Amino acid sequence: MTAHFVDLLNELKGRSLRMATLVEDILQDACDALFHTDHVLAQQVVERDRDVDAEEVEVEAEVIRLLALYQPVGSDLRILCTLLKINNDLERIADCAVNIGERARHLDLRKLAGRFLDLRKMAPLVQRILHDAMQAFGSQAIDEAEKVFSAEHAVDALYGQTVRQIVEEGSKNAEEMPSLVDILSVAKNLERIADHATNIAEDVVYVQTGEIVRHRLARM
Amino acid sequence: MNQVLDQPIRSPKSQIVHSDHRESSPRESHQSHTPTSEVVVRTEDLTIRYGNFAAVRNVTLDLLAHQVSAIIGPSGCGKSTLLRAINRMNEFVPGTSVEGRLLYRGRHVYDSDCDPVELRRRIGMVFQKPNPFPKSIFKNVAWGPMINGYRGNIGDLVERSLKQAALWDEVKDKLHDSAYALSGGQQQRLCIARAVALEPDVLLMDEPCSALDPIATARIEDLIDALKKRYTVVLVTHNMQQAARVSDRTAFLYMGELIEVNDTNTIFTKPGNQRTQDYITGRFG
Repeated sequence: MTAHFVDLLNELKGRSLRMATLVEDILQDACDALFHTDHVLAQQVVERDRDVDAEEVEVEAEVIRLLALYQPVGSDLRILCTLLKINNDLERIADCAVNIGERARHLDLRKLAGRFLDLRKMAPLVQRILHDAMQAFGSQAIDEAEKVFSAEHAVDALYGQTVRQIVEEGSKNAEEMPSLVDILSVAKNLERIADHATNIAEDVVYVQTGEIVRHRLARM
Repeated sequence: MNQVLDQPIRSPKSQIVHSDHRESSPRESHQSHTPTSEVVVRTEDLTIRYGNFAAVRNVTLDLLAHQVSAIIGPSGCGKSTLLRAINRMNEFVPGTSVEGRLLYRGRHVYDSDCDPVELRRRIGMVFQKPNPFPKSIFKNVAWGPMINGYRGNIGDLVERSLKQAALWDEVKDKLHDSAYALSGGQQQRLCIARAVALEPDVLLMDEPCSALDPIATARIEDLIDALKKRYTVVLVTHNMQQAARVSDRTAFLYMGELIEVNDTNTIFTKPGNQRTQDYITGRFG
């Protein structure tokens, strides 16, 4: 029974990592669609959200099933609770990526060439944070998780600069306001993705140590 | 209850061989937290042997007042031996010897002047299988107090004890029926009523639900939770979910050694010892 449970737990963990790969792909496509003004790709991003939603429901059902049938404790319990939380974070990240894709369907960044460089820095940084967080989860390495915490501060700084730039540009040129609102939305969604990735990294610490570091890290 | 505790627990002699290695404080405890509650039972470097076999080895453990302390561990780890040592039930097993100290309210229970009969009145026991006497429900509860010279109203005591055991409502109209007519779960609660009728200080429970169905088990678990308000409860169980549900502190024994003791929440969410982790997650045992 126990060996069977361990197999099921490993299978579920693998499934969560595959879901993360899917979400990373969607985010990559959303960023490509945005920065290359690819409206077809942007539409595909919006449509792929359904795959993530379906997977999220199935993973959640499996976590609940394992909790009910095996009543795990100790590290098994911590991993299952974390899988449930990461599952939710991944689904929300996919939603954020879809929001970016929706903006990319009608936003043409070529018209804003040479401006909003901080936004262009944010996107790859956020993608890397998400990748690092899931790598940390896959390997259960706290030192990898800690890289995410420091990188998230950089994202927050870029987001703040982008917002200030939007306010500045908007006050100078009201005609660009629709595009600026789209850019604000993109920046906000990227910042949210970094937050979710940080949640995942914090959960890696929890799995390994049993310590909930979420708000403690927020205060640091 | 305090009046009872003030009485001496003296006996002319003890059958148990024990050697006392130290006068006062034991070696450093395995406990991660300094207990804040009153210590009712303390073992100090306790070793219990059956012949040459050490079933319990150098166990230092505090059991705290008005808490449920669960002792868990795989078969043969010494948990029942440790439990039965607390009220000297082990001395019925030939060849048993005890080293170290086992203090009840600060008194070493294996001192030669400790009366084991009085000790067992203060430290009651509930066994794995319900074992009512072949008598009426009433007499099962009344018997112990009566032979101990109880001078109060025995009917009131029986009613009070059955109420404490959450059995009164089910048996109040058939107190003089045979105890054997009760279900297994009711019989176990009757045994608990029988134990509490002696107004003990500590209740030892040796897998009290292992012979019961889930409904009866749930009732006993609720009862254990209620009983700790009046008594100190020590529970040996194979059922880790039960230990997690009903106990405040959990001690994990393995091959006679105390591996870890901590508050139950910590033991079942982030145990400090890898062997505890492996046991509670079913990796061994």
